[in-house]
Amino acid sequence: MAMLALQNVSYRYEGSTKTIFNDVNLQFEAGKIYTIVGKSGAGKSTLLYLLSGLDVATGGRIEYEGENLAAINRNHFRAQKAGIIFQSLNLLTNATALDNIILSMNISGVTGVDKKVRALELLQKVGISPEKASRKVLKLSGGEQQRVGIARALAHDPVLILADEPTGNLDKENEARVLKIFATLAHDEGKCVIIVTHAKKVTAVADEIWSLEKGVFRQLPVGK
Amino acid sequence: MYVIEHALLNLGKNKGRNSLLAIIILAIITTTVVALAIYNTAQTVMEETRRALQCAVRVAPQRSSPGTGVAVTAGGGQQEAAVTLEQYLAFASSQHLDGADVKEGGRNADEVDAVYFLKRPELLAVFEAELRDKGLPDNYSVKTDESTFASVAGPVESLQKLSLTFLLIVLVLGAVIMVLLSFIVIRERKYEIGVLRAMGMKKEKIALGLWTETIIITCLCFVLGMGAGSILSQPVSDAILAGQAETSAPGSSSLADRLNEAQGVVPPTTKIDIAIDPVTALEIFAVSILLASIAGIIAVSRITKSEPIKILMERN
Repeated sequence: MAMLALQNVSYRYEGSTKTIFNDVNLQFEAGKIYTIVGKSGAGKSTLLYLLSGLDVATGGRIEYEGENLAAINRNHFRAQKAGIIFQSLNLLTNATALDNIILSMNISGVTGVDKKVRALELLQKVGISPEKASRKVLKLSGGEQQRVGIARALAHDPVLILADEPTGNLDKENEARVLKIFATLAHDEGKCVIIVTHAKKVTAVADEIWSLEKGVFRQLPVGK
Repeated sequence: MYVIEHALLNLGKNKGRNSLLAIIILAIITTTVVALAIYNTAQTVMEETRRALQCAVRVAPQRSSPGTGVAVTAGGGQQEAAVTLEQYLAFASSQHLDGADVKEGGRNADEVDAVYFLKRPELLAVFEAELRDKGLPDNYSVKTDESTFASVAGPVESLQKLSLTFLLIVLVLGAVIMVLLSFIVIRERKYEIGVLRAMGMKKEKIALGLWTETIIITCLCFVLGMGAGSILSQPVSDAILAGQAETSAPGSSSLADRLNEAQGVVPPTTKIDIAIDPVTALEIFAVSILLASIAGIIAVSRITKSEPIKILMERN
């Protein structure tokens, strides 16, 4: 069974008559990396907001493991099941990198681990040193902030990772590091990774590539 | 638990905003302490004075002042003297009394000045009945001296009313300021609230965190405000009472006041010792927490109505 399934999903912004998608049917399975490509404003980020339960479809239904996402506790879903990497990062800028990650674990109710140790490990994994981990987010570079955002999304070990342009601010070295993490999460740990991106290098790690144009999803061949 | 830890961390991170909030809360609490301490102390003084004066019963023949129609008491008198000194002294043996002050020679050499101190003010009727049984004539009155109470406690009563008015103004204005301030603070933190909700934090926990921050600031301000209020309430009370004493100066006094003065009645109160007892402290603490909570709840309830995605999209 698919982890996430879109059934005849339609969406339009509140107060607008313009439909972003209409009658979309898609399935996302565990253990795979999906990339969604398309022009700016096509609705890729909106799709991620719908999949994360931050927004609700105006038509059809989105199911998470057979349950209607609109009907379940979406706060709980985000806190427990989904790790969201925002394009605009949405970090608590006044807090340190470490505090951002520990707070995420606290919200998710992570227990049985030393949260500081786990947070430092995650930051190390994305290339943030312990010294920088104690800095306020505002004092980190754009690329470093993006990696903190990635580490935060993984802090509570979610089964579903939703990433909006996760490598947009990264140099090649760090981009490769992050893509390797995503590949490990999907292929070794069985998680479902859905990435919205413009970067061709990101589509190279995908198991499925979908393009979104004028509200229509079309599957593209992998490796091209 | 982490909500409280996060709140504590936030307090340290936003020193400027929290300091401003603390200054305003401190001002509200300090003025509340001053007003409430004066009000409660004035109330206690009034009660004690009333009790003391109501326990002191004067037995004296009644006369009407010609032309005025005002009944006045005089400490004994030769014309109406139906009660002898021995009788006055015999009245002092009543079991309802704590003591008596019976002496010959008031303003006139042959007068008897008899004041009896009841154990409790409520015993007045029983005591009077006992005296009537013992032969006290009907033309003798057995009563407390209300005009003396008015003269002694008048300024304190005015002080009490003034402090109550001041307290109500402070509380209403304080509540309005706190609500407005909470709105400003919460609006400033709208983005943070959006991020926390996007991460899956429950509205209630966000509200609890924000409330905890306000309560911690309020508690700190309560401690400081109690100190500042304790220092300020005595001079404020003295200044107001001095003003009251001036307005009730002899030149402007009523006939009754002048008669009382002539009789050597206790002068008006010009100083009371302001004390903040545990009850007052508890009242101030409750008021502070209530104000902070109301302000916080109104602001938080408004902001948590917004969907996190809307907050984040507005910002981005």
